[in-house]
Amino acid sequence: MHDDWERERFERLMLPHLDAAYNLARWLAKNDGLAEDAVQEAYLRAWRFFGSLRGDNARPWLLRIVRNACYELRQREHLPGPAEDFDEQRHDAEMLAAGAVITLPVNPEAAVIARAESEMVRQCLGALPRDFHEVLVLREIEGCSYQEIADIVGTPIGTVMSRLSRARRLLQGLIAERVRPRETGT
Amino acid sequence: MKCAELNRLLSPYIDGELDLQSALAVEAHLQECPRCSAAIAGVQTLRTAISRACEPAKAPLRLREAVQAQFAAAPQQATSRSLGFCLAATPGIAALLIVGWLALAQPWNAQSSAGTAQGTRIVYHLAGGNHVKANLRTLKNHLDAEPNLQVVVVAHSDGINFLLQGAQDTEGQPYIGALRELRARGVEFRVCTNTLTRQQIDTRAVVPEAVLVPSGIAEISRLQKKEGYTYLRL
Repeated sequence: MHDDWERERFERLMLPHLDAAYNLARWLAKNDGLAEDAVQEAYLRAWRFFGSLRGDNARPWLLRIVRNACYELRQREHLPGPAEDFDEQRHDAEMLAAGAVITLPVNPEAAVIARAESEMVRQCLGALPRDFHEVLVLREIEGCSYQEIADIVGTPIGTVMSRLSRARRLLQGLIAERVRPRETGT
Repeated sequence: MKCAELNRLLSPYIDGELDLQSALAVEAHLQECPRCSAAIAGVQTLRTAISRACEPAKAPLRLREAVQAQFAAAPQQATSRSLGFCLAATPGIAALLIVGWLALAQPWNAQSSAGTAQGTRIVYHLAGGNHVKANLRTLKNHLDAEPNLQVVVVAHSDGINFLLQGAQDTEGQPYIGALRELRARGVEFRVCTNTLTRQQIDTRAVVPEAVLVPSGIAEISRLQKKEGYTYLRL
């Protein structure tokens, strides 16, 4: 049984985050119709399990449910899965073994990225492997703190930190790869 | 501080996630290292580009209404343990757990809210393509137990597969016989058109024993809210 008080509390805590939930779902489901279905499923689950919400951390709690609903729906619809999870440590080890120096891109990339068109930026962001895509969306578009991202994604905060760093680096590289050939006409 | 250390702290510095001492150390390094300053500028430029390109979307009004109608109608049953368990699992496993939990939990609720003069109204939510035979058997058993039951099965995602022309079980037996038998007992089958569109399935592929509805989820929500159906998940 539940009462009006619980329903009112759910509305007060959960409905203000509907836009954030939908926005996240559009990025993760990569399909507007699927995003709407995912948000509906997520709210239904949130309502059913509302009793497990502790404290006032409603937003990350809801976004975590939205995230899981999106991935599950994509799987259920047999849509192509997100790019394979990237093995960060293995990748670094391989790069180092090959004699590479892992560094951040520097200023020339910044100048190139500043010229990138919005559509290209969106496409490149969408093309990142899932682990990097989701942390970047949560940080840059949803404005989540590291602790919130850690709660939503279910990883330690140190992992959030390293994934964000790498996600930005990968995105800079992807954008630069697309901008340069256009400019040189190749 | 060396460049490699700054490399590690660059993102949290830009995001304002460093403690004061570390932030001051980063700034001292930046004063004397043009290369790391350029790296910071690069990330700032990227952030500006993302912010310019990715305006946050607003939820459409129809979604807002559907969400409100949905939880206004849905019964709430949960324990903190069950959700904690689901959230801790991978998304796929979490889904299975939720489905399984709901399947177990809802009949108990159905009893508590059951019993109109016309018979109990149940909407079965079918989203998966597995265990179709078992699901059809469940429906039959439910009807046997409550002959006045009014049942609507709303299918979407893989749940629609057995309602397509020529669908067969794993042993090659067509489902159509069982479907017709259930139809004869008053069970209605409703298929989500959104799923058909997404999976590029022609509407004519759906068996005539089923009808189409624009959205499976919206239909479930409507049946609960407007027509007093109790929700069960297959």
